[in-house]
Amino acid sequence: MKKIYLLVCISLLLFCIASCGSKNETANMDSKIRNNSEQLLNISLQEPFAEKPVLLTSVGQSADVEMVKQLLTRANIEFTMNALATKDDIKDNKTLVLAIGGSSKGLGAAGIDANQEIDRINNLITSAKSAGLSIIALHIGGEARRGELSDKFIAPSFENADYAIVVSNGDKDGFMQQLARNKSMPLALVNGMTDVMEPLEKAFK
Amino acid sequence: MKKQYISASILMILIGVICFVSGKNFLSLKDLGPIYPSESLTEVKMLSDYFDDIKGSNVDTEIYVFKGTTNGGKVLILGGTHGNEPSGYLSAITIIENIKVDVGEVFVIPYTNHSGMTHNDPQEASPQYLHIEAKNGLRTFRYGSRASNPIDQWPDPDVYIHASSGQQLSGSETRNINRAYPGKINGTPTEKAAFAITEMIKKEDINLTFDLHEASPEYPVINATVSHEKGMSIAANGMFEIQMKGIEMSLEPSPTNLHGLTHRELGDYTETIPLLMETANASQGRLRGKTNEELALTGKDDCYVKSANLGFLYVPYDEKGHPIEERVARHLQGIQEYIKAYNDEYPNKQIISNNIPTYEELFINAKEEELGGKQLGKFLY
Repeated sequence: MKKIYLLVCISLLLFCIASCGSKNETANMDSKIRNNSEQLLNISLQEPFAEKPVLLTSVGQSADVEMVKQLLTRANIEFTMNALATKDDIKDNKTLVLAIGGSSKGLGAAGIDANQEIDRINNLITSAKSAGLSIIALHIGGEARRGELSDKFIAPSFENADYAIVVSNGDKDGFMQQLARNKSMPLALVNGMTDVMEPLEKAFK
Repeated sequence: MKKQYISASILMILIGVICFVSGKNFLSLKDLGPIYPSESLTEVKMLSDYFDDIKGSNVDTEIYVFKGTTNGGKVLILGGTHGNEPSGYLSAITIIENIKVDVGEVFVIPYTNHSGMTHNDPQEASPQYLHIEAKNGLRTFRYGSRASNPIDQWPDPDVYIHASSGQQLSGSETRNINRAYPGKINGTPTEKAAFAITEMIKKEDINLTFDLHEASPEYPVINATVSHEKGMSIAANGMFEIQMKGIEMSLEPSPTNLHGLTHRELGDYTETIPLLMETANASQGRLRGKTNEELALTGKDDCYVKSANLGFLYVPYDEKGHPIEERVARHLQGIQEYIKAYNDEYPNKQIISNNIPTYEELFINAKEEELGGKQLGKFLY
């Protein structure tokens, strides 16, 4: 019986030592991710491709859509905004701009959940593509718009976009840059929300 | 037998002394200290001027009114909604002591829940006072509570039912004025105070209302502005300028299904556009270390640095902490930018003021050793 107790104690001790060691492994993993993200070479936008007018919608119902509205206004880009846009809003618009960022408060206010929001966006993107619209994905909320909720909305948007603009501190792990690379999509990485204007203007003919 | 009488008498005297000292200390908490308004002050009103029922009670509170030489729009600034969020009331006091109004009217309530300023939250080890060396000497400010004083409103029910929506919350929220709007005419003292503020906004026809808060660094809505939907374009416009000043802030919509808060109810029940701002205050957080006056003023906390490294926080946190100057400056710059955005949208109801310290003056230009109260003191009297 004593031997069994001794064996259990040794096993627990070894387990504890092994657990302590995981911190360095995690740190090494983080460092690898960082290095990978630093090594990413983003494809620059070569020439303007998007046409006006623009249909602006939210992907995740955060208030970042209001900030993108400000950017479009200041850039004198003609647009209509509907945070809950559907295919009926496409009309004669030539470009779909997606303001990505999840907000549980925003989703609650809109009376929908994350899955319903993803369904709406997928349907809207499908219709926009059929109608020949260009798609620009904007992630301007930085670190505050990353995490379990916001991340759900990034892939569906990036996988269908023609161009993306990302505020860099929202992509410390290189997730969005990697998505752009996977499909050879041009991506502009900027320092802050106020730097979005220039690459956004460059996208329009 | 004689010895027992002597012992009992000594004990009774000791108890009496302890009661006297602690009673005196407790009563002294009602003294919130003087405020020295700028020369631009027009008048000091009381909240009870708008709802007589609270006159003479501990929820009645001062309203500092500054009128410009030209008529224009009207703005209300609510500090001290929560007494344990010092950047809220210190921002309001900094405005009162510095502002010069040219166009329109500015109303400032430094202690919105006056009752909440007169006690501390039990078992939180909060400091009773904050001391700041101002231009004319040492100033003492109270560090209060999130809720009204139980001396004024007790006991709490098990469940708090918000009067106008029927929303159910924890009983302790009964004394939280930011769950009581638009208030209740025959409600609890906290509900009556909220009712008086709503009445004031209606009677004065206030166009824009700011509610200044702080939050724990582990709370998701932080370094943020929460806006009612009717203020979203002003908030977005102002936010753009705030970002241009190098201040990281996010914009959040006011949830339509969370009731009792300024950014929801004042927007729904009055004509005002309500905006609520949050800064990061370690002294009210759950992951904090030693809780004292220094923590409230400097925000320096090893536990929060560790928490940040573990990814537990929603704001960056390092050894420099988040000093009171940074937190007050965020509020002050935010107010100025949102008012400019309001002026752009409503050119017929301009609100133009000056001499409110900027983010740069109050925080960026400060030497590191002056952060934690000294730099803020340069703007107080």
